[in-house]
Amino acid sequence: MDIIIQLAHGFVSCMTPINMAMLVVGIVVGLLIGVLPGLTLVMGVALALPFTYKMDVTASIVLLTAMYVSGTYGGAFTAILFRIPGEPIDVPMLWDGYTMGRKGQPAKALGWTLVSALGGGLLSAVVMVALTEPLAKFALRFSSPEYFVIVLFGLLSVVAIGKGSLANAFISMSVGILISSVGTDPIYGAFRFTLGSPLLADGIEFLVVMVGAYGVGEVLARLETGFATKPIAKISDAHTELPTWKEMGEVKGMFFRSAVVGDLIGLLPGAGATIASFVAYGIEAKFGKRKAEMGTGIAEGIIAPQAAATASVGGALVHLLALGIPGSGATAVILGAFMLHGIQPGPQVLISSSGMVYTIFASLFLGLVLMCAIGYFAIRPLVKILDFPEAVVSAYVLILCFIGALSIRNNVTDLWLIIGFGVLGYGFERMKFPVAPLVLGVILGPIAEEAFMNTMISFSNDWTVFFTRPISGTIVAFTTIVLLLPSIQRLYLRHFASPAPTAAR
Amino acid sequence: MHWTTRSITRSFAFALAATSAVLYGAPAMAAGYPERPIELIVPWGPGGGADQLARLISKLAEPLLGQGLPVVNVPGGTGGTGMAKLLSAPADGYSAAVYIADSHALLAGKSPRWTMADITPVAVMIKGPSFIFVKHDSPYKTWADFEKALRDEPGKLKIATLGFGSVDDFSLSVIARKGLKFVQVPFSKPSERYVSILGGHADALYEQAGDVASFLDNKQMRPLLIFGKERLPAFKDIPSSYELGFNVALPQFRAIVVRSGTPPEIVKKLSDTLAAVAAMPEYQKFLVDQYGAADSFVDAAKATPFIDEQLEDMKKTMATN
Repeated sequence: MDIIIQLAHGFVSCMTPINMAMLVVGIVVGLLIGVLPGLTLVMGVALALPFTYKMDVTASIVLLTAMYVSGTYGGAFTAILFRIPGEPIDVPMLWDGYTMGRKGQPAKALGWTLVSALGGGLLSAVVMVALTEPLAKFALRFSSPEYFVIVLFGLLSVVAIGKGSLANAFISMSVGILISSVGTDPIYGAFRFTLGSPLLADGIEFLVVMVGAYGVGEVLARLETGFATKPIAKISDAHTELPTWKEMGEVKGMFFRSAVVGDLIGLLPGAGATIASFVAYGIEAKFGKRKAEMGTGIAEGIIAPQAAATASVGGALVHLLALGIPGSGATAVILGAFMLHGIQPGPQVLISSSGMVYTIFASLFLGLVLMCAIGYFAIRPLVKILDFPEAVVSAYVLILCFIGALSIRNNVTDLWLIIGFGVLGYGFERMKFPVAPLVLGVILGPIAEEAFMNTMISFSNDWTVFFTRPISGTIVAFTTIVLLLPSIQRLYLRHFASPAPTAAR
Repeated sequence: MHWTTRSITRSFAFALAATSAVLYGAPAMAAGYPERPIELIVPWGPGGGADQLARLISKLAEPLLGQGLPVVNVPGGTGGTGMAKLLSAPADGYSAAVYIADSHALLAGKSPRWTMADITPVAVMIKGPSFIFVKHDSPYKTWADFEKALRDEPGKLKIATLGFGSVDDFSLSVIARKGLKFVQVPFSKPSERYVSILGGHADALYEQAGDVASFLDNKQMRPLLIFGKERLPAFKDIPSSYELGFNVALPQFRAIVVRSGTPPEIVKKLSDTLAAVAAMPEYQKFLVDQYGAADSFVDAAKATPFIDEQLEDMKKTMATN
């Protein structure tokens, strides 16, 4: 009861003009950041930080949190419309979201992302308000072995998702991990594959690979057909299509599953929206009612990653507010904003500044609703973009990719790299090697490596800890079941069913 | 793109100015400094200690200089990427970087990407000793308990650090050389390092007090040992490393540096501005919150010897390894 009263107070103090103005600004800017590939959430939030110096602490946190939440949503637009993931979290959105768009239902695909972002976000906000302290304590039990097995699950499940050759998917993932190993080794600082170049010593940014392989690769693929892909019919008549209640009723079970997974993964420091989105998609592809159709443009494939990504925000904020430990890059910046105003988040903040904390909670609720309202009205004009001639759209896609690559570290060499990875991505696609495991390997490879090395160092090279520690053992068992069942199933399917379309790239 | 063009024009203008200065022998350059914003490079990601310092300086120094000091985060390579950015900019005082002990430690390693000859320290802004912390309810009440456990079961206890080859590693190697065996677990992300203690995944943590201030205030962590010659007033019951015969005191420091070759008048102007910043109550409060030494500030004249001495200490630690 106490919590509800506090939250009501939070809503009242959130409704001040300044806080509401910050909320709207944060949401709009966050959506834009999400749309631009290369400009990540973390960079966006960091860029906004200086504007908060002169602001009241609550207003500044409201601004940054709003950016964080809407940034997990904006990238879905470009992923679905142009096949450019605006953020790494939007990579799974390409499989079903983009495919659904290509099947002539882009408005519907965007409608599903809107509903899942709203639902996932609200659910995690409720969980956050109700269970901040116990959840934070639970998350403390996770250490390197647990991180490693979670990331491993993310990697393996996506390999298994592809409908093409399993061997090709493995090769693709291994190439991705190999690319990610270029640079300075995170544990001992040894140089790997750097060829004496200082730029390579810093490693290859996963953003370069992601934007190159998808964005540039897609443009190259269209160039090959002379930009003659048949335009989607009657886009101009498309309404903003929200799913009907009946359709939503059919997926409520998997929606809850994805949102809970997202919220839990958001809780872990070092994990975050990206891993949440991949793992939720992987789980759906293994256990979902329509797992066989995943990747062919079905709603479940959109709901799982989006609901999990937005739900992870609540989890990450729990960690920040209750323990003072930022669970992700974006929350690290928000922590910086707190400290600039002389407030150190932690258990004492929940007691001493509970007014402020509940205002932030309330702003999360209001922000989600506002974000979806803005998104709703943005869908219609955005979908019209697909009416333009393909060559024109492709030119803009290339510009977006280049701006994204340059904004990573203001280095022109990254532009050459993104062209190189574009060619690589195109080549992979042509030779029936899926691109997704490649990109995933680059994103998750380093996280897996560090977690694995830390485990080996902490447990004096005893690899059995992955199986004997209760939480990691459970996840390993789960992963094994997940991986074995569908492989056998798939062998059956390959013999008896007609091959599914290979859209799941 | 916009910025690149600007910096090209900038360096062209600088070349012109330099030529005219040579021709007419007038030190015209420094007179109006600063005429435009000064870029403050943070070679680390947003949210960390170096970033917080830069943003505070940016806020406090702007009214004094009459120009903005935009903070640019250029993380990567233990600060190496950001330093490369500083060294590729003209030595005109319009680019400065935060330089911390962890980046400095790279100079003690082999083939560092820059040397002290490339940079000119403007001021040391904060110095803080490092500690060994344990969880508040840890069975090790004192350093003596911890040392006993290290001797009883060599190689069993885990100490979380920033990474191998870091300042943390140098300091701990002095303890290891006294026959105390432990496992050093590197966590490059601060959040994972702190969780490792709070969640009981590691037994002790090497860290500066300012970074874990909230955990100290909340009675979630407590110190066992301070690295330094003397005890600190704030922790008067905690023994110092020198008392126990571990002759190592590598404080974490965060300094502001510019490229070598920057006109001395400009270095002086920046150093004077930072001295004024360091004297402000808001900065003093920051120092207290960060558990920084009260006499942290070192001006341009004394900063170079201080930073050089740190490097010598690290090299000595390594040589005797």
